[in-house]
Amino acid sequence: MRWFETPNINFVGNRRIAYVVSGILFLSSLGIIITKGLQYGIDFRGGKEFVYNFEEPVNTVEIRDFLAEPLGSAPEIKLFGSDSEILIRTDNESSTEEVKAIIEGSFESNLAGNQFSNQKSDTVGPRFAEDLKSAAAQSVIYAIVIIFIYILIRFRNWTFSAGAVAALVHDVTITLGIFTLLSDTVPFSLLIDQNIIAAFLTIVGYSLNDTVVVFDRIRENSVVHKGMEFFSMVNKSLNDTLSRTVITSITTLFVVLVLFIFGGEVLKGLSFALIIGVVLGTYSSLFVASPLVLELDKRAKKS
Amino acid sequence: MMQKSPYSQFLILIHNYNHMQGNGFKIGVIVAFLALTLYYLYPTIIWNLEQKQIEEMSEVDAQAYQAENAEKLSDLRENILNLGLDLQGGMHVTLEVGTPQLIAELAGQDRDDLLDEVLAEARISADENDSDFIDELVTAFEARDPNARLSRYYRSDADDITRRSTNEEVVAYLKAQRDAALDRAIEIIRTRVDRFGVTEPSILKQGSNRIIVELPGIDDEERVRNLLRGTARLEFRTSTDVNDFGIFRNQAVEYYNVEPDTSDTTLLLDQSVNPLLDVIGFVQNQNPYVFGYAAAEDTAEVMRLLNDPEILRMYPRNTDLLWSAQPTVFADGTEEFTLFGVNSDVELTGEVIEEASIQFDPVTNAAEVAMGMNSEGARIWSRITGANIGKPVAIVLDNYVVSYPNVIGKITGGNSSITGLADVAEAEDLVNILLSGALPAPLEILEERTVGATLGAASIRAGLNSVLFGLSIVAIFMIIYYRKGGMVADIALMLNIIFILGILAGFKATLTLPGMAGIVLTIGMAVDANVLIFDRIREEQRSGKTIKAAISAGYNNAMSAIIDANVTTGFVAIILLSFGVGPIKGFAVTLLAGIACSLFSAIIITRVVIDYLTRNNADAVSFG
Repeated sequence: MRWFETPNINFVGNRRIAYVVSGILFLSSLGIIITKGLQYGIDFRGGKEFVYNFEEPVNTVEIRDFLAEPLGSAPEIKLFGSDSEILIRTDNESSTEEVKAIIEGSFESNLAGNQFSNQKSDTVGPRFAEDLKSAAAQSVIYAIVIIFIYILIRFRNWTFSAGAVAALVHDVTITLGIFTLLSDTVPFSLLIDQNIIAAFLTIVGYSLNDTVVVFDRIRENSVVHKGMEFFSMVNKSLNDTLSRTVITSITTLFVVLVLFIFGGEVLKGLSFALIIGVVLGTYSSLFVASPLVLELDKRAKKS
Repeated sequence: MMQKSPYSQFLILIHNYNHMQGNGFKIGVIVAFLALTLYYLYPTIIWNLEQKQIEEMSEVDAQAYQAENAEKLSDLRENILNLGLDLQGGMHVTLEVGTPQLIAELAGQDRDDLLDEVLAEARISADENDSDFIDELVTAFEARDPNARLSRYYRSDADDITRRSTNEEVVAYLKAQRDAALDRAIEIIRTRVDRFGVTEPSILKQGSNRIIVELPGIDDEERVRNLLRGTARLEFRTSTDVNDFGIFRNQAVEYYNVEPDTSDTTLLLDQSVNPLLDVIGFVQNQNPYVFGYAAAEDTAEVMRLLNDPEILRMYPRNTDLLWSAQPTVFADGTEEFTLFGVNSDVELTGEVIEEASIQFDPVTNAAEVAMGMNSEGARIWSRITGANIGKPVAIVLDNYVVSYPNVIGKITGGNSSITGLADVAEAEDLVNILLSGALPAPLEILEERTVGATLGAASIRAGLNSVLFGLSIVAIFMIIYYRKGGMVADIALMLNIIFILGILAGFKATLTLPGMAGIVLTIGMAVDANVLIFDRIREEQRSGKTIKAAISAGYNNAMSAIIDANVTTGFVAIILLSFGVGPIKGFAVTLLAGIACSLFSAIIITRVVIDYLTRNNADAVSFG
């Protein structure tokens, strides 16, 4: 089987369309993030999370209502995999044992007869959450700086570094925007926690993977086809590697879909981020990174 | 002419070297690597078979079998691929040594109001700036008087810190003290956890003042929490002067008696307008050393009222008000805590305790902890009890009165006991804590994560299913798309997963749920190298090369893209490894192992297999 054997798609010629699409996605993501704020999980905000398993299906709205008063404020409640398992997230600052006693006492009086068991309890103190947050922010910044430097060293051209990093920022920002937008509507947790940061860094690595393969081909073509216009060379390189880009994206998309479906509730957020990341990463290496290199190259040559 | 960078020269060198050696060398490397992997995975495989066998036996047989093979099983257990707490269930706790308390106590008798103010200030700024508490302490101290010396509070003959020591020297001394306190705390926690009986606990130092404790298979979180946190500071104190204490109690109550407002007729008959009496109660024939009784939720309010500056002035000399550790149950079923008046001088500390054991009260059968002292402790104890016959002596644990018995006669043997414990478990933990020694400073729980065994088992299933499905889908796709070449890539992919597990077992890494996600992701990305190579081979074929030449050119020309793509992903994995904690580290480790293995299997293994298949018939392998 052969797909995209000798494609001749004018990626670079149509880059204006991509700029408009990316621009809208990027700016609206920024807008959502600024207006709604990033939705942090307890890792970065502090708080408590409990998972309970019931014998009979339960109603999350009912549970939220009867827990609101004893806990002092309405907790966040989501189903956790099935309709008889729930995740409770609360900011109540009493000790873990006290909060657990409040929750379990309320279950006993309000859901009499429905046996329950505690599956998971996490408590993160506010100071520890601050530390985790700054470590996470640092790791994302380090990743971007190191990648900029590596590409600069390997390709000896800052426009390649800038193009790759722009594509990364594009991918991560839009993923964050989608997370922020959907955090209240999807039935699983999309709050930003350590798992999501791991997913973001993986997206960074993946998106870069695609981009670097294209850059590598541009470098090779610029040696083999000396004298070819840079514009055509970028286009040719994108087409040369298109089959590989598509196949790798497909196999990776397969596995992240498998993770999303079979990986269990704990990995839902992480695998959801990876799905978006794989799609965006493929798109951005074709339509954002390389065309930007061309753009920057033109400017650099003019001046 | 192609320009040769040192890097591409290096690649050519590797290629020529390999060429000279032929495939014999590569096959040798593959076999050696596979053998090493299986060597590391062997204990895991045998362990799982043994577990299955034990599960099938009856309980009696299983116990006998386990006892018989204890050594073999524990040897295996030590070398198996470790599962993270998220997969096997258990408790993860991050503790912090309370540096402010430690530093405050180091000042000992020299501690004064100025130091307390500076300590409080340093605490706030250390929190705000996310900086070192001791550094902030010096800054705050010097901000008041640049020439003042911290050595007025901290002196140590052993560490050569005298009145003339500079602030830098004192800071170095304090930091060394903190390090020592952290090491001591880790040692004590390890002893406590070992006594508690947790299999395979992990206790690690993190940074300058944190401890990470991982306890697999824990189901009683609250007991563990108290076990980890209890400073176990045991004190023996005498009682306060009973007459002065009675006067003080009356004065304090009097102080809060609000003068009835005569103009407001509604209040005239109301006698209980006293905020103190709202929260504290008295009983008839009350023990004269008891201030009063209060419900758990009122204890904080009582202390607030009794810490009023006016009241503090009324305190009798050398008197502390301390709550009882256990509530008293009254006839009507209410539970109230007792507020005792205790002498503030500590006569004896827990350091003299040599033995501790559980005993049962012959009448009530309630669990108690009996303690024995060393000779010096016994001598002081006999002096204290001898001088206080007919008066109570308080045994105080972490600032709560655990026992306040009346001394009937002089105790010469160094015996004492703690009574009024909730149950045997509490008595057991108390014995454990007393014998493990006191923590140098209180520990605060910063983070705590508990996963139940059921959720852990569900996660293992979810992880395994993802690996299997991911592997099958990718393998089938590769065969459909690349035919025989795809099959070769699939062989490499299977070996790849075995290699990753072998590396994890060999390096004693821990497999977590995100780690399993890392393996699944690797499956998708590992074939990338082969996709790059196979696509390149197809391209070379299109340009008119023979299949053999195309294979050779395909591998060589794809190399630089493969290296670049994997190095960048590798960077990201290393960054994750240095930032992440717990499960995320597991993700980074498998990602890193996956990158190394997939490079090896995609470049070397597939090449050997393809060369072998095409040795006589160049068309034996097709690339779709």
